[in-house]
Amino acid sequence: MASIEQRYISLSARKVNSAQGKEQAMLIVTLLYLVAVLSVPLYSPQKLIWLAAYPIIASEMEGCGFRRIFLKSLLIIPLVALIGIFNPFIDTETAFRIGNVAVNRGWVSFISILLRGLLSLQAILILVESSGIIDTINALRKLGCPSVLTTQLHLTCRYISVVMEEVIVMKRARAARGYGRKSYPLSMWGRFIGQLLIRSMQRATDIHRAMLARGFDGSLPLGTTMRWNSSAWIWLIVWTALIACLRFIDFSSLVVQFLHK
Amino acid sequence: MSHHFIKFTDVTYRYPDGTEALKGVSLTITHGERVALLGLNGSGKSTLILHTNGLLLPTSGEVNIGGIPVTKKTAPEVRRAVGMVFQNPDDMLFMPTIYDDVAFGPRNMHLPEDEVRHRVDDALNAVGLHDVADKAAFQLSGGQRRSAAIASVLSMGPDILVLDEPSANLDICARNNLINLLDSFRHTILLVTHDLDMARQLCPRSIIMHEGRVCADGLTQTLLSDTDIMRDAGFM
Repeated sequence: MASIEQRYISLSARKVNSAQGKEQAMLIVTLLYLVAVLSVPLYSPQKLIWLAAYPIIASEMEGCGFRRIFLKSLLIIPLVALIGIFNPFIDTETAFRIGNVAVNRGWVSFISILLRGLLSLQAILILVESSGIIDTINALRKLGCPSVLTTQLHLTCRYISVVMEEVIVMKRARAARGYGRKSYPLSMWGRFIGQLLIRSMQRATDIHRAMLARGFDGSLPLGTTMRWNSSAWIWLIVWTALIACLRFIDFSSLVVQFLHK
Repeated sequence: MSHHFIKFTDVTYRYPDGTEALKGVSLTITHGERVALLGLNGSGKSTLILHTNGLLLPTSGEVNIGGIPVTKKTAPEVRRAVGMVFQNPDDMLFMPTIYDDVAFGPRNMHLPEDEVRHRVDDALNAVGLHDVADKAAFQLSGGQRRSAAIASVLSMGPDILVLDEPSANLDICARNNLINLLDSFRHTILLVTHDLDMARQLCPRSIIMHEGRVCADGLTQTLLSDTDIMRDAGFM
């Protein structure tokens, strides 16, 4: 029980953030980084390795800890693996040899897809963990993202909190009358989830009514103007330059040339 | 300001499941009156107040706020005049900080940001929460959350304040603070409450509801000391 309550508190705590231009700068850098990662040719995974510098350095600079970000990003592996798992069997043309072992282009593209997934998710995790989801959504809106999309994202975040609150209440109620019982039949979980859905819908309706009563017209109002301070500008300029270098300069070839000399 | 009255004319409301929550309710509350709406659970109090700003529209009959019939079309205009404080403050506090929650209404009114800041400061000062403006709702106590919910309505500058059981779950100190705060509000107040002492302290007039109908309407002191009325309303 403590686990879900702690998660709820940490989720709520992350929402509190000062509205500064840094969030916008981080969002722009993240978008640039995603473009850089996704634009690397499919059969050149070695170029992606250099782009890993951003999540490693940025996560440490923002105090997120790269180890934690990396472990969280591993969650995406099953999904991206599913996307590229058939490549080694479809694209069988030999790409290169390691000794007598031929590595086909399918394996290269598979590795490339895995790395793209990992790096992209790591960049997004750093953005959300350092800026907070609400400020990230606000930054998206300030950058011209349609309000219908940002409002949906905002309300989805709010709905997650509502569901978690209801889960906590229901778990407490069950534990209070469970007398230490640990396992329940599947049918009980079905009823639990059904009740949770109904209760959270009722809460969501109440919240919507409270919003309507205060003039909500389908679009969440923007908060205070985000001020671009010097650290936001430095973040944007330095990382844009570094990401451009990492993307367009072939460091792998330079290293190989250096080693040959 | 004298046009800020609440008028219900033969209002009936039936929920989609067929439950008839209001059965021909007629009442008038004039500007500046403080009225307590009393009754047992399920008597129709909450349904009635949801009609005051168009969150529910009558199945039959008419609700009129300050000369404006409440319809789907007029609801946004009516909501500027009627500030509603809901029973559960957590339903009203959903923004990242208390400041943003209190600014939610004024920003929806498309006021300039300076005016929004001014209104939020005033509202937070009124409820004594200025020091916690940058905190999130979950970091506040129950009483503070209730005050923040009231501030989020006061910041809209309503002419009519409708409160649904505002003293529920409050300790004695927070309850007294709330009574003092409401006492300083000079416009119309419609107060739904089970707290009969609060009704006595704040509202010279009371309306008692029973099974979707108004069963008594008069001076609070008179009604609460009339055993026949209290018995008919199910209080005894």
